Amino acid sequence: MTTAAEVGTELPGYEVPSVSAEKMKTMAALLSDPTAIHWDVETLQALGMGDRPVNQGPLNMGYVMNAVTAWAGGPDRLRRLRVRFLGNVLAGHHLRVRATVTAVREEDGARLADCDVVLEVVDGGGGDGAAVVSGTATVVLS
Amino acid sequence: MGFAEADLDGQVGRAFPGGTYTVSPWRAWLLADTVLAEPPSLRAGGDQVAHPLFAWMAATGAMGITWDELFAWFGATAADGPVFGEHETTLHRPLRVGASYRVSGGIVSAQRKVGRRTGAFDIVGYSMDLHEIASGAAPGAHVATCWNSIVFPRRDA
Repeated sequence: MTTAAEVGTELPGYEVPSVSAEKMKTMAALLSDPTAIHWDVETLQALGMGDRPVNQGPLNMGYVMNAVTAWAGGPDRLRRLRVRFLGNVLAGHHLRVRATVTAVREEDGARLADCDVVLEVVDGGGGDGAAVVSGTATVVLS
Repeated sequence: MGFAEADLDGQVGRAFPGGTYTVSPWRAWLLADTVLAEPPSLRAGGDQVAHPLFAWMAATGAMGITWDELFAWFGATAADGPVFGEHETTLHRPLRVGASYRVSGGIVSAQRKVGRRTGAFDIVGYSMDLHEIASGAAPGAHVATCWNSIVFPRRDA
C-alpha cells in the first residue's frame, strides 16, 4: 500500500495518555542512568522539583519516532530525526505528537517525506499546551 | 576556577575510546515496551528491526566513557546541571535485533555563548558513527550517525 503524502498532509495524531513513572524506572535501568530525578521522589522533593518524576529525553524522542514511523509503515522507515529539547515531561502528563509533511522528494530511488514534528503536553497539571520537543523528521514512504 | 573559553578549542577533535554495542533481544523487547512501541517477538526467528531509538542507545552506550567522564572533559560535573540541547539521528539502514555495531566518534564543536537571561554557557557537540561489525550480515556497513549537543551552564564565567 502506498502512503498518501503531499506538502501539508497532517499525520495521524499520536498520543501518550499518561506518562508512566514505571516506564522511567525501566529506562533508567536500560541506560544505567543514575540520575535520580527519573525515579526517586525523595530526590525530586529535595531539589524542589515536586513529586513527579521527569521523563527521560530519549523516551520523548522515541514517542516522536513512533508517530512518524507508524504513519510511514514501520520502524524501519525512519531516515533522519533532528530534535531540540524544550522542556520537561512529568509522570502523568498527557502528550500528543503533531507532524506535518513539508516536502515529498526522491533520493537514491527512495520516496521520502520531510516532516515538521512537535511533542506537546496536552494536559496533566503544569505546562499544558507547551511544546517540549520540536524538530524535523524524514521517513521513507512505501 | 572555571573552565576557560580558551580550553574549549583544545577539546574539539578529541576522540572517544569507542566500543561495540549489541542489540540483545531482551534489551530490544524492553526498550520497545518502555517507549510504547510494539516489542519484537522473542520467539520468532529471522531478521527483526530494532526500534530506531537504538541508534542513540548504541552510540551513547558504547562511546567508551561515562557521562561523568565526558562532563569532566569540560571541567563540569552532573551537579553543574548540564542538559541535552539538540539531537540528530541519521539512519542509513535500520538497526537489527541481535546485531552488533562498532561505535566511534568524538567532540566535533564547542562554543561559548552568553544569554541575557541565562548568562554564560558552553554548547558542546559530539558525534558518533555506527558501523556493523566485521562478522555481521553487512560487514563494515555504515548504519547510523548520531549527533548531539550538551549545554554546560557557566555561572562563574
